[in-house]
Order: sequence, then structure tokens, then C-alpha cells
Amino acid sequence: MDSFFARYRNFLVLLVLLLAQIIGLAVQVRRTASGSTLETKDSSGVRLIRYWAESLVAPAERAIEFSRLGTFGLWQNYLDLHNVRQQNQDLQSTIDRLRLEQASLLENAKQGQRLQALLGFQHSYLYATVAAQAIGSSGSDRSRVFYLDKGSAEGLKPDMAVITADGIVGKVRDVFPHTAQVLAINDQNAGAGVILEKTRIRGILRGNSNGQLVVLGIMNDARIQPGERILTAGGDMIFPRGLPVGIVKKVINDPDRDSFIQVIVTPAANLSSIDEVLVVTAMQSHFNDQQQQDINASEALKSGDLTTMQQQKKASDIMAERLPGLTDPNLPAPQPAPSQQPNGSTPVVPTIPQAPPAHAPTALHPDRFSPPAKPSNDANSSGRNP
Amino acid sequence: MTYSVFGPGSPRDVEVRHYPFLVYGLVPLVALVAQAWLPRVLGPYTWSDLPLVITLYFAMARRSPIQGTLIGVVMGTLEDALSHHALGINGIAKTVAGFLAASVGVRIDVENHTIRLLLVFLLSLVSSAIYVFIYSFLLGMALDWRWFSELFRAIGNSVIALFLFPVLDRFQLQD
Repeated sequence: MDSFFARYRNFLVLLVLLLAQIIGLAVQVRRTASGSTLETKDSSGVRLIRYWAESLVAPAERAIEFSRLGTFGLWQNYLDLHNVRQQNQDLQSTIDRLRLEQASLLENAKQGQRLQALLGFQHSYLYATVAAQAIGSSGSDRSRVFYLDKGSAEGLKPDMAVITADGIVGKVRDVFPHTAQVLAINDQNAGAGVILEKTRIRGILRGNSNGQLVVLGIMNDARIQPGERILTAGGDMIFPRGLPVGIVKKVINDPDRDSFIQVIVTPAANLSSIDEVLVVTAMQSHFNDQQQQDINASEALKSGDLTTMQQQKKASDIMAERLPGLTDPNLPAPQPAPSQQPNGSTPVVPTIPQAPPAHAPTALHPDRFSPPAKPSNDANSSGRNP
Repeated sequence: MTYSVFGPGSPRDVEVRHYPFLVYGLVPLVALVAQAWLPRVLGPYTWSDLPLVITLYFAMARRSPIQGTLIGVVMGTLEDALSHHALGINGIAKTVAGFLAASVGVRIDVENHTIRLLLVFLLSLVSSAIYVFIYSFLLGMALDWRWFSELFRAIGNSVIALFLFPVLDRFQLQD
């Protein structure tokens, strides 16, 4: 017996280790009607191993990323500063323009809020976000996850939306004390409810093996044109409604289901190079303090612009009164409104408003450049000097 | 130092390499960190599996199937832990790859660079095949994979091994 174990020791160790891992796999996978899926929540043992692995790797990743950003920042913030003043002026003018646009849209937004309140519909706004830096990835294109340098200590929780200024990026899958794992939206296991901006067609966003975004669940009678914007629908309880997802790249037939199509999407955010992101830590049905301040600033800017415009208009009116007008002082006074009929009804007379004939005013000290007071009568004297 | 891998009466005794203890700890860690960080630089063109390359190197150098198996278990499980997939998929693939590399290492001369590269290329393909088999057939989960990605990964691993193995050879302890 001893010789058997000694002879096949290597194979026995291999078999034991393989068997242990297969049993471990079976525990982590859940069989459903549509096939097998991973357990949505890791068990405490699995989570502990993930935590150990992340604790091993994260400090080095953080140091590498810190060095890279430090070097890049040194160059960008202290050395490569030409055209910064011009860029600053451009950005300032952009901010002013956007504030005006925001103020003009505010009336519609308020009206929409009132109507939503009447309908009992709750619309969620980004109430609080946490800025985070991506420090690493899973290292495999089969698992499109990346790690952030913020974790539960900074208020991050699973299933929080991760976005950039360009569009959505993913959702928080797991959190550790000072790091968090984010599942990118182009992973095969990711999903989001989306809506096409113009056609208002809804679908489910998923990733494929190429890392492309695909919208599924759309009938083939839908007329979708490349270039149409795709936004989050807000029904998945993760991404707030109306965030940019991408634009339609092309439409193909669904190979798995007849009478359905797949919409290939170009992502709005650059998913292959993610640096800084925002994690949506809270959504509320009202604006936060910062947003309210922005709105107040926009309203103040708009009202200031209105005041300026009114003052300019008043000044132009005064100038118009002082300058010679185009109205003919010789015209008769305007007729009073027609009197009412004896039966009390006002006669309806179709009148076409006619502009008074334009005559230049008579000059006090006419010279050779002065127009004649009555051109029709003084036609013979037009060539003479005064 | 010689070590008999087939037990008593083995027909062949082979040389077993030794490294400083720090190398056993640091090199796999650097491989894991680099594998996790490289996609941030190279994006979708990261056709490499550094943990697998390191597993194969130590398995071939130690010439012990048990040690090769254990290295594969640890590296694969850590790689799984960094992903969002179930623990064990990469673990099983690298366990088998480590075992095979060490088993081949005791039978043929793996000092030759060409043989090393060929072994890394073939075992990379074997590892990918096991991964797809476990994911799609054993677990019955949907996996959309591309054969040319696996081929590129195998080629990438071979190219990395071409430069990395001679560097790691320098850390070998001399008797």
C-alpha cells in the first residue's frame, strides 16, 4: 500500500487538489432555469480569499499609479502650461454659456417636476458622488473589472453606479475597506436598462466577448439609425435616468432569436482607458446644495442679463426719442376706436395695417445735401444749389 | 543536487534548481501586479498571462510535479480572486499546466530555450482550453470566446518567456 502512494504520489496530489477546486466551484455556481450563473453574493470564504488577493496586489498598484500620475502631473501641471490662460478664458466663457443654457432649461425642468409630482413619479438626481481613481484591473479580458482606490471607508457600497463626465462606466461589484471592485458595462455579466433618445425604444445593455456594448431585446421592426444617442432608462435601480451610454454604431440581426435585432453601441466613455471616475453614492428626488447653488448662480446670471438687456433697451429708446424718427409729423392723429353699434356689438371691419409713408424730416438749416421737403413739387429745383 | 521524481528506483535523476526564498515570494507577486496593471497601459492588447508564465517557469525549474501543482493552485486562485469569476476556474487550469510542465521537465531537457518556448506556447493553449471547458461545459455558463485571442495569448506568453526566463535564471543559487 505504501508503495502505491509513493508511486502515484504526484497524481494523487493532483487529483485531490483538482477535486477540492471542483467542489469549490460547484458551491459557487447556482443552477437556474435559463442555465448556470454565479451566486450573486460571494460566500464569506470566497470573499476572504478575494480580500487577501486584493490586499496583496492593491498597495503595489496604488504605488505604481501614484508614481505614474505624479510624473504625469508634474509635466502637465508645472511644465507643459502653454495656452493655459487661453484655455481658462475659453472654459470660463463655456461656463457662462452653460449657465445661461441651464437657466433657460430650468423653467422646463421645474414644470416637469411639478407634473411628475402630480403624477406621483419620483425622478432621482445625482445627489452625492465620490471621486475615485482606477488603480488596477483583473488582468484578463475575460473578466472586465477594475479596482478603485476608494472603498467602504469612503462610503462605497455594492451596486452603486460608476460614471464619468462622458457617460456610464459600470457598477460597484464588491467593496473592501479601501478599495472597490467595479464591473465594467462591457463585461458579459454586466447589464443596464437603456432607452434610445429619439425613438424612445427600450432595451437591455450588455457586453459581448469583444468588449463591445450591445442592446438586446429590440424587435426588428424598430427603425433605428446609426448615430442615435442611447441613455440610461433608470429602471434598473442602479443608474440614474438620462445618463449618456453611447451612440448607435450599427444594427444587426440577433443570431439567437428571430425577429429581434442587436444594436451595437459605441460607448460614450472610454472604457479601455479609465482613470478618474465618480461613484454615485446617493440619489434623491431633489437637488443637493451644490446643484442648488449652481441653479441660483444661473438664475442670477440670467436675471442680470435680462436687467442689462432692459437697460440697453431703455437706452436705445431714449436715443430713439432724441434722434429724428421716421414718423411723419404731418400725419393726422390716429383715429379713435370705432364706436359700438346700437345693439352693443362691435362691427368687425377687416383692416390691413399700413405703415405710414416714410419722409425725412425737414432740415432746420438746409444745405445741398438736405432732401427736398416735398419731392413731388420741387422736382425742378433738384439740381440747384441753395 | 539531484532529486528522484519517480520514487525509489527511478530511471533518471535530474538537477533541481534552487532560488532565494525572496524570489519565490516576490516574483509571483510582481507577476500578479503586472498582470493587473498592464491592461491600464496596453488596453485590450494585453495578450499575456504572466501568472501562467511564472507557474510554468518554477514548475520546470523545480522539476517537481507536486510543487508545480501547488504553484499553479496558488497563482490560479489568486488570479481568480482578482476577477469576478468563481474561484477555481483559473486555479484548475493552472494546476494542470503546472503539473504537466513539471512532469515534462523531468523527462526532457528544458534548459534549451526553444523547448522552453514551445512548452510555454503549448501549455498556454492547454490552459486556455481547460478554462473554456470548465466555464462552458463543466459549469454550463455562457462564455463567448475567440480562438485567435487564445492563440495571441499563447504567442505573447512565449515572447515574454523568451526574455523573462534568462533573467530569472540569474537568480538561481549555485551549489
